[in-house]
Amino acid sequence: MAAIEVSNLTKAYGEVVANEDLTFSVREGEIFGYLGPNGAGKTTTIRTLLGFQSPTEGTATVLGHDVREEASLVAAKADLGYLPSNPGLDEDVTGEEYLDLHASLKGDDRRAELLDLFDPPLSRRIREYSTGNRQMLAIVQAFMHDPDLVVMDEPTSGLDPLKQESFNRFLRAEADAGTTVFFSSHVLGEVRRVCDRVGIIREGRLAALEEIDDLLNRGGKRVRVHTEPPLGGSSLELEGVVDLEQVGRETQFTFTGNYDALLAALTEYEVVDLEIDEPPIEDVFMHFYGEA
Amino acid sequence: MLDIARYEARRRVRGTVALTVLLGLFALLMIGLFPSISESGADFEAYVESLPPAVREGFGVSGAAITTIEGFLSTEFYTFVWLLLLGLYVAYAAGDTVAGDIEDGRMDMLLAAPVTRARVLAEKFLSLLTPILVLNLVMPLFVYGGVMLVGESIDAVALVAVHLLSVPYMLACASLGTLLSVTVHRSDVAQRGGIGAVFVLFVLESVTVDTDYEWLGLLSPTRYYDPAEILIEESYDLVGAAVLLVAAIVLLSASRVIFERVDV
Repeated sequence: MAAIEVSNLTKAYGEVVANEDLTFSVREGEIFGYLGPNGAGKTTTIRTLLGFQSPTEGTATVLGHDVREEASLVAAKADLGYLPSNPGLDEDVTGEEYLDLHASLKGDDRRAELLDLFDPPLSRRIREYSTGNRQMLAIVQAFMHDPDLVVMDEPTSGLDPLKQESFNRFLRAEADAGTTVFFSSHVLGEVRRVCDRVGIIREGRLAALEEIDDLLNRGGKRVRVHTEPPLGGSSLELEGVVDLEQVGRETQFTFTGNYDALLAALTEYEVVDLEIDEPPIEDVFMHFYGEA
Repeated sequence: MLDIARYEARRRVRGTVALTVLLGLFALLMIGLFPSISESGADFEAYVESLPPAVREGFGVSGAAITTIEGFLSTEFYTFVWLLLLGLYVAYAAGDTVAGDIEDGRMDMLLAAPVTRARVLAEKFLSLLTPILVLNLVMPLFVYGGVMLVGESIDAVALVAVHLLSVPYMLACASLGTLLSVTVHRSDVAQRGGIGAVFVLFVLESVTVDTDYEWLGLLSPTRYYDPAEILIEESYDLVGAAVLLVAAIVLLSASRVIFERVDV
């Protein structure tokens, strides 16, 4: 059974179609990245999956429960964690009181363990929390009942890089232990570090669905080369060279061709410096979202 | 069960204590004024009799009664504060319950837990009992003590009844606010709507008295709870209380049906 099964899901707000005919599934135990620019419809899908809003057409199941049936979906929610990007918390209670409420609704077997990793000041009122502390409290809340599936909407936006890193490590360990993670993001780098598979959503429609490695291979490599004399703009006529530009004495381009051919071409010059790197993830992104 | 109700009720404690103390002091202040008003006697009665009938009806005043402690209390305190002010207050507070949570994403966090919408709605509504019950339990003590202090006396049963029978009235006002809260998902609109609705109904009931449109007043919750009648005549409108409870149940059921179907 797939953890999430989305079938021909459409959600329209009046004339505006936020999700159009989406079909995909999330396997048990994987970290699924749901990638798209802001406004692509990621949050709409997530809020429909959680039953906050009903589909206009089509449906989805979460842990085998139809999102259109409240009674059924409530049963699924006992094994589900939810972590939004900007969690709505009650400002006038302490972090402790907030966790106590959620513990009474769904349990908190792992609360202490999680608080070792993510440590918001529990005795203070949430009103006084920084963005990072709010997010950490929401993380503890999302995982403390040891859910089988965690749905996250841009979860790391409020965390500092160090906490982001430990959160990503934590997620990896959770997935290895069998938890399914649905992870929406508009940052490809993050998805690349964390996810196994990615669905790309663009203007409400599913643009691509692939393994993360395939996605990266398709993006090619970023090449930076400094030769003497400098390579001219059009002097490197080689298959697979994209977006070539001259920055000072350095030539930069994205390369999707054959390495031997590239190296052979470069032997005609004196190579002062050469760098072949993972592409800036945004370039891969452009591949799917650019007007080209 | 009732975890959400307990949590929300605790959050209302501070505001409830502040409101209770404030209104208690106001009650004592009003009662402190009574001896001098009662001395002016006939003049004051004449003034009240000169008011338009709608105003007299609205504020439960009658000339003969104003110079008795029961008449004075029902006019100057219970009609103003209990009927109007607290009616507005609970409608306002109820207006925020669902709409406020939807507005800033707190409802998403709550509904992501294994709870039905009907439960969330019911428990949030129940938490409104904190101010309603605390105010009605504590205020009779302030009033009774104050009356004793100025050397007057008041029937304790009538005093308890005026508070007891206000509970269905406040529940009805709160249900009205709740219905608005699940209908318009903006907290400030639902809150203002709650205040506006209760106030308009109050005015409607007052101005239609002794006119051909008096039946319009039947729509107003204020028709079914009359502090003056309870305190002065010691007559207890139990049918009115039942009507208010039924109205509360109807409004809450409608709220539930709406809340279970809307996109939050």
